[in-house]
Amino acid sequence: MSKTTSLFNLIIKRNISVTTPREGKRNFRKFVIPNKRGSRLHKQNQASPNPELEIDKRGVRDIGYVLNGRFVKVPEMIPELIVPDLTGCDLKPYVSYKAEDVIQSEFTAQQLFDAVYSRKIVTDFKQNKLTEDGEPLEPSDEEKLQPEEAVHRAKRTGSDIF
Amino acid sequence: MRLYNFLCKKVGDLTVKYSNLPESYIKRSYEQVYWKNPKGYPQYPAAQVARKKFRFTTNRPWTMQFARQNERTKLNKKVFLEPVGEWSVFKGDRVEILVGKDKGKQGIVSQVIQERNWVVVEGLNTHLRVVGKDKDFPGITIQSEAPLLVTTGVKLVDPETLKPTEVEWRYTEEGDKVRVSLSSSRIIPLPKAAEETFDYKSKELYVENPAKDTVAADATKITFEPKLCTFEMDIMESMGIKEDRVPAKSYWY
Repeated sequence: MSKTTSLFNLIIKRNISVTTPREGKRNFRKFVIPNKRGSRLHKQNQASPNPELEIDKRGVRDIGYVLNGRFVKVPEMIPELIVPDLTGCDLKPYVSYKAEDVIQSEFTAQQLFDAVYSRKIVTDFKQNKLTEDGEPLEPSDEEKLQPEEAVHRAKRTGSDIF
Repeated sequence: MRLYNFLCKKVGDLTVKYSNLPESYIKRSYEQVYWKNPKGYPQYPAAQVARKKFRFTTNRPWTMQFARQNERTKLNKKVFLEPVGEWSVFKGDRVEILVGKDKGKQGIVSQVIQERNWVVVEGLNTHLRVVGKDKDFPGITIQSEAPLLVTTGVKLVDPETLKPTEVEWRYTEEGDKVRVSLSSSRIIPLPKAAEETFDYKSKELYVENPAKDTVAADATKITFEPKLCTFEMDIMESMGIKEDRVPAKSYWY
């Protein structure tokens, strides 16, 4: 008698509910609450100096930073569109269908070096203006460039290294 | 999202080529997205609820008539298409009709609708329809062509024997892909009308808009001179902008 009751206890009478993970989370915490949404208290909290959620800037970047509770405007961060004068420019917005595809080879760093430095090196060599190490005796502006000056140039406006 | 994108690739290549419109514009013009999850939030997957089944007809996908035929409430029966691997019939081809009341006659293709495997032959397989019938006005009778299926209704014609043939795509010795008729191994060249688009009949015949089109000579002119400065530096030099300030030294830890 006791054996059958103990056996009965081993039979699985209740299963684990798998409905919730199968159907997916029905209520999750990370709802998107943009600037105009939310209760009055939530919007007040967002307007205060310590908002609970990050304020949605809608893709517009700040032109400064916040220091000691005040916003400091940095004029360099304001984007300035530089548009050259287009008088006498033959290029128009669209290209005519009659124009064929222009296939050019890649313009490598080697080719740029050859274009800028090779001529002077060849003339210096022919006129014997090079020292024993190969350094030029009368260096041009590009040849006088030092590493520190190069780093400064790379950091100034106009560099393409970000 | 990927399934939706896969189902979206229904507009044929020839339709895109004929329209001369960017593919993204064509997709945008006929797609009907009812709900899209907001972007930029990792908790929401890139899912959208949109119409997947469209009814393609002789009306092009970017037209208003197509939009009216594919309104939200309109449901059509499924159209069963035989998948054609390599498309062989183009606009301007000479074809022979195999079915219908114009069976045996040859004609020139005037329209190709890849989404339904259709081809419209000029002046053949026609029927009469009355347009603009009113109470007082009897209406105008127009002869309009019905489309034919590329697989069963139409066959390409050998250029010299003028008989219908099966066609295969093969490569020539130079490497060009051409259509070869299986019965006589003759090459069927692509018709000139095949390169027609909405904007031009052929590229040489395109009439340029002088205000907006760059002339071919100007577009292909090489004006590059190698200089040891970046594009931005070049602009600064030419516009006289002087910027000597160096940003303060920063450290990475």
